[in-house]
Amino acid sequence: MPLFLVMFCVHSVTTASTADFPFEKQVAPILQKHCIECHNDSTRDGGLSLESQSSTLKGGESGNVLVAGKPDESSLLDYVIGPEPEMPKKGKPLSKAEIETLKQWIKAGAPWPEGTRIREAQLSQTDWWSFQPLQQPAVPSLSAENQKLVHTPVDAFLLAKLQEKKLSFSPVVDRRTLIRRLYFDLIGLPPSPAEISIFVNDPNPRAYERLVDQLLASPRYGERWARHWLDIVHYGDTHGYDKDKLRENAWPYRDYVIRALNEDKPYSEFIQEQLAGDVIKPYSTDGIPATGFVVAGPFDWVGQIEINEKLIEKKITRNLDRDDMVATVMNTTVSLTVQCARCHNHKFDPIAQEDYYSLQAVFAGIDRAEREYDPDPQTADRRKQLLAAQTTTQREYQKLVDLIKTRGGKTLTTLDTKIAQALKVKQGQGDKYGYHSRIEKTDKTPKWVQLNFKQPVTADQITLYAAYDDFNNIGAGFGFPRRFKLEISDTANFKTSKTLIADQTQANFPNPLTRLVKFDLKGQSFQYLRMTATKLTPRSNDFMFALGEIKVLNSEGKNLATQATVTTLDSIEAPPRWSRKNVIDGDYYQSPDSNTDLAQLQSKRNQLIASLTTPEEKNTLLQRSLKLKQIKKNLNQLPARHKVFAAATHFSRQGNFKPTEGEPRPVFLLSRGSEKAPMKEVQPATLNLIKGLPGKFQLEDANNEGARRLALAQWITRRENPLTWRSIVNRVWQYHFGKAIVDTPNDFGKMGSLPTHPELLDYLASRFRDEGQSLKKLHRMLVLSTAYQQSSRSHEQGNLIDGDNRLLWRMNRRKLEAEAIRDAALQVSGKLDLTMYGPGDRLFVLEKPQHSPHYLYEKFDPAKAKSLRRSIYRFVVRSVPDPFMESLDCADPSQITPKRIPTLTALQALSLLNDQFMVSMSEFYAQKVQTEAADLPAQIKLAFETALGRTPNAAELQILQSIGKQHGMKNVCRLIFNSNEFIFID
Amino acid sequence: MDRREFLMSAGGGLGGIALASLLENDQLLAAAPTTTQTLHHPPRAKRVIQLYMSGAASQCDTFDYKPELIKENGNAWDPGEQVQLFQSSPGKTMQAPWKWKQYGESGKWLNECVAPLGDCVDDMAFVHNMVSKSNVHGPATFMQATGFILPGFPGMGAWISYGLGSLTDNLPTFVVLPDPRGFAPNGAANWSAGFLPASNQGTMIRPNSETPISNLFPPKNDFITRQSDRDVLAALKQLNQRHEQERAGDSRLNARIQSYELAAKMQLQAPQVLDLSNETKSTLNMYGLNSTDFEVQEGISEAAEIAYFGRNCLVARRLLEQGVRFVQIWSGADNGHPRRNWDSHEDIKRDHWPLGRGMSIGASALIKDLKQRGMLDDTIILWTTEFGRMPCSQGSKGRDHNPFVFTNWLSGGGIKGGTTYGESDQWSFKPADPANPTMCYDVHATILHQLGIDHEKLTFRHNGIDRRLTDVHGHVIKDIIS
Repeated sequence: MPLFLVMFCVHSVTTASTADFPFEKQVAPILQKHCIECHNDSTRDGGLSLESQSSTLKGGESGNVLVAGKPDESSLLDYVIGPEPEMPKKGKPLSKAEIETLKQWIKAGAPWPEGTRIREAQLSQTDWWSFQPLQQPAVPSLSAENQKLVHTPVDAFLLAKLQEKKLSFSPVVDRRTLIRRLYFDLIGLPPSPAEISIFVNDPNPRAYERLVDQLLASPRYGERWARHWLDIVHYGDTHGYDKDKLRENAWPYRDYVIRALNEDKPYSEFIQEQLAGDVIKPYSTDGIPATGFVVAGPFDWVGQIEINEKLIEKKITRNLDRDDMVATVMNTTVSLTVQCARCHNHKFDPIAQEDYYSLQAVFAGIDRAEREYDPDPQTADRRKQLLAAQTTTQREYQKLVDLIKTRGGKTLTTLDTKIAQALKVKQGQGDKYGYHSRIEKTDKTPKWVQLNFKQPVTADQITLYAAYDDFNNIGAGFGFPRRFKLEISDTANFKTSKTLIADQTQANFPNPLTRLVKFDLKGQSFQYLRMTATKLTPRSNDFMFALGEIKVLNSEGKNLATQATVTTLDSIEAPPRWSRKNVIDGDYYQSPDSNTDLAQLQSKRNQLIASLTTPEEKNTLLQRSLKLKQIKKNLNQLPARHKVFAAATHFSRQGNFKPTEGEPRPVFLLSRGSEKAPMKEVQPATLNLIKGLPGKFQLEDANNEGARRLALAQWITRRENPLTWRSIVNRVWQYHFGKAIVDTPNDFGKMGSLPTHPELLDYLASRFRDEGQSLKKLHRMLVLSTAYQQSSRSHEQGNLIDGDNRLLWRMNRRKLEAEAIRDAALQVSGKLDLTMYGPGDRLFVLEKPQHSPHYLYEKFDPAKAKSLRRSIYRFVVRSVPDPFMESLDCADPSQITPKRIPTLTALQALSLLNDQFMVSMSEFYAQKVQTEAADLPAQIKLAFETALGRTPNAAELQILQSIGKQHGMKNVCRLIFNSNEFIFID
Repeated sequence: MDRREFLMSAGGGLGGIALASLLENDQLLAAAPTTTQTLHHPPRAKRVIQLYMSGAASQCDTFDYKPELIKENGNAWDPGEQVQLFQSSPGKTMQAPWKWKQYGESGKWLNECVAPLGDCVDDMAFVHNMVSKSNVHGPATFMQATGFILPGFPGMGAWISYGLGSLTDNLPTFVVLPDPRGFAPNGAANWSAGFLPASNQGTMIRPNSETPISNLFPPKNDFITRQSDRDVLAALKQLNQRHEQERAGDSRLNARIQSYELAAKMQLQAPQVLDLSNETKSTLNMYGLNSTDFEVQEGISEAAEIAYFGRNCLVARRLLEQGVRFVQIWSGADNGHPRRNWDSHEDIKRDHWPLGRGMSIGASALIKDLKQRGMLDDTIILWTTEFGRMPCSQGSKGRDHNPFVFTNWLSGGGIKGGTTYGESDQWSFKPADPANPTMCYDVHATILHQLGIDHEKLTFRHNGIDRRLTDVHGHVIKDIIS
């Protein structure tokens, strides 16, 4: 390290005067330590870069800074010398020894070995606690007295530390307190009076253990703990940013998390699915929705969809979009703040900028968009089988076709070459689309387009080309009439003589899309040709007629239409795209379908192939193709797939938002994180900070984007990756005990906290890793401990020695989270609907959803809602959070929230007193106890017990009765909801 | 929860404590904390009003006078480089639709559209070389509001609330007065507390709505009366105190009891602040208010703009008088149709005139009113917008986004009046000195400086980073400080 080097160079420099001055050992570290952060090639503060010899000699805005051999004329020294030196602007001044080194170096002619560049320091030390291999520590041995307190190994580790401080656990709480604590912790709801009574009176000594198992088996468990996970991944049901549009199909990911937790999916499977489930198990109910994890954060709708490729903002948008993915994945799984290395090497952890951009490259092939999946496992399975059968049959079919083709020789090769050329004929169209009629309110207004020739012509065929509107992404068949007729005449007004050539007025004509619509003219002569749409095509709310092109071919195949003039009943003239004259301009949408040459060639080829095929082979081919048809039919008959907002490579283009189709976008190391300063392209990889766990990926095909994500998922879940296991057990600990062992659950780096109980953390992490990675087992070990069952009451000795209770000499009292408060209020009021899963509940009224949706919470009346479900099923809006939940400190869905910061404010008090939800629940709650209990005292007792889990004492009863008598039961209920005992769990 | 965390989470009523904790000076905490004791240096200002023009207000039609645009009006616009615009290709050079005139001793040129501010120019400092990092409303709006182009960061008001605490127990520290037509891009996320304790978030007040502060009073119901409210709160206190006595040593329990008392105070104070009936006729006139009521309309009209903005400015003054620390007033709502903000792609004349008149009448009244009450000395007003507009036309009457240059102005709180800092180039297209633009970091640093805060020291550790309002940037603009 630089400092170290400088210490002994004081002596060595005094005599140096030769060109072989040890620049790299002595000078470079000084420049690196004090100067390079601001004076590098990309930042160039004051126009000066000290990165290379040439840039240094060039100087800055105030001229030269270095004159070789002449320290007195080198202003570089002036800047750093003196009691209050001008430089460095930030940080400590240079030491005398450092200044002397610089002086000697300049005196020696300022030698600078060729090609040497000064770069920002990159930390390489990996001797940080969290990077060390995970080994299972021995359980500490304790005094006999303390040993008696040990219920699970957790206790032994805690007691060992407490013992050192002459502390021990507080007494175990009574069952009534314990069940309330456990219910809120494991399922996020209060126990009912009946449940309390059963537990309190259960004579079985294992009653508590049974209760724990029962709650862990409850579907409510997944609902409670999924919320913790969604905080970390910053899940939301809208996109955020400007407009904040709805993300209608985010919820299948939320449901996946609930399901995975309830099923107790092994943690590495849980992580792998969330990163690359679509790669590992594409045909499953979980695989695709699980990747909702990567895309859970905000989506910059305007930046992605409206901004065009040319603007720098597009690159910024994509960079920040990937940044959010990298941060979400790495903060959540390995608790490292890799995103700090976006603009420079990580200042505290050994994470280089290149490492960071390599992680961005992992996600360079995906976007946040909707894709389809089978919500029903049987359907998923069936689809998987059918697709496999399809592939096999297709392969067999192709094999035979290939065999037959070998017999075709040169003739076939030539034909194929021609077909390939015909296929290459320009597809698409120019900017002149065709004719567009005026828009009508009904489809019954006939519209016509007419070709007028100077003199009569004789023609064999008329070909119609439907319009193709790719400006508005409508595509093929735009405006082609549902019913129409073609007539020819010798008079322009079609009043007297006219002949009907095609009559499609009696039934709807199928939209031809890109196919040609041909009508035989049988060599008739005419001067005027008219196409009349008798039933117009619907747009969103109205009707119109559009046509791409009309061709009139004579017997030699020559198009005569170009000689005509075009008239129409009406027309929207919006050139270049829309104009009546566009129907004969030869500019129309071309596709293999509309390519006549191609059709002929293909017909020739078919004949040739037929002649080369034996009857048996023909039969086999027929059977195979029938089988393929059947498979296709079966596939089509499967229930429709559902949509989920997930990691997506294929989706339909929306404005300027185009899918990668699996081709990763190039990712560059950006100097200072600026899109304007790309330095070099980087390859996908992950971090190199754990011994024996290289960050380089071994990919067969580095361009396979799915393989990139899978490789990262595998690196994260490798047994040898200690971060992953420490990270998750630490989180679980935090949610049970209120404070984590490492108090910065998303940062195990040098800026994070140190573990209070490192051995305990490692013990939990290694057992978790090695014993099935079951979260439920982990919960069990924690909640069955004596530590967990302690009283939360404080005592003087404990307060004096360990006021923050970091050693857990008592349990921490829990302030209920927003969701738990709302769910508890619903449950005690008898209004909780326990229906699981599905689209989020909108606890607001949505207005003006077309452009920037307005989310109006004050217009939503919970009393009139059809059903009220648990808060996990809330539709979570990013821009305008639910004010009630927000006042109760629920997580901001725009931010990764590894732990919530509880507050106690006047506005929170006002929310609980006056929010429509709380007022309505007070009413329901009162009505419920009034139907269940006869008189006021009984009703009050019941209400109190339902909400707080115990009977009121005489004094409390008196207070409540006085309110009840004067102001009725609803006010009693409102009072209970606002009590500290409702919000704080002992 | 340790002591410092507790004090922090209680937020609201404990002035200066967060700042003390960020200075890591628990000694000071032990002594009775007063604001100045814990500041980094003696403050010049105590309060801030931020006037936020949503949609991107045009600088070259309001405050940034460019004779070149008048001279070249209608001619091809050639800045000598390829220009990529947000929506369009550059049109012809276009002058402001209205006349320019000089005002005050400083001789500042203002456009007729904001002429009511002419009386105040000698109390205002203009910054004409503001630059944004984004050309897109969402990220750019975040930037001027929070210093970052990403969602999830605390607004300036939240930082100041966190750093300085509150001046009163009876009202929120950070108040937001949105445009009555709706929210600007990003919605309430512009004034969220981000990762700071939620107690620092902006509290929305909608003066003209039925419930100006949500949940201040119960909604319609058949059981809560004044008397029941009083009795329930008294009973609640008794219950909570009994509960607390059995659980000594948990200071949160008492803090929660206190929070109900603060709530009651707020219920008394807030309606008084919002009641404009005791304002004199001449004060109302000054703010352009004939009456204190108005209907909210869909689009833009001069009368409505004057009513919305004037009323919000007057309410802001009353809030400051009662100890609110930071008020954010929004002019302009989302990008829906019809146009309801400053995003004049189609027609500058149609939108900027009514918006400009409404804003300048209200802002001018606010400056004068604070001055006559002696409050301008320690109140900073900041006028801002997410970015500027191009000197060339879009279509024939509108202007496209210009992230390369826009204007901010400040007034009061030790800001040097009659100054112009940081010129734009001859077209108002880019800074005259492109290497040295002013960014929101510098403006934020300057405002914090005036409040007695070193912007590099006001930090909060989140996800491994010591976050600042000014990120890793920001220089105090000494030239505009008196």
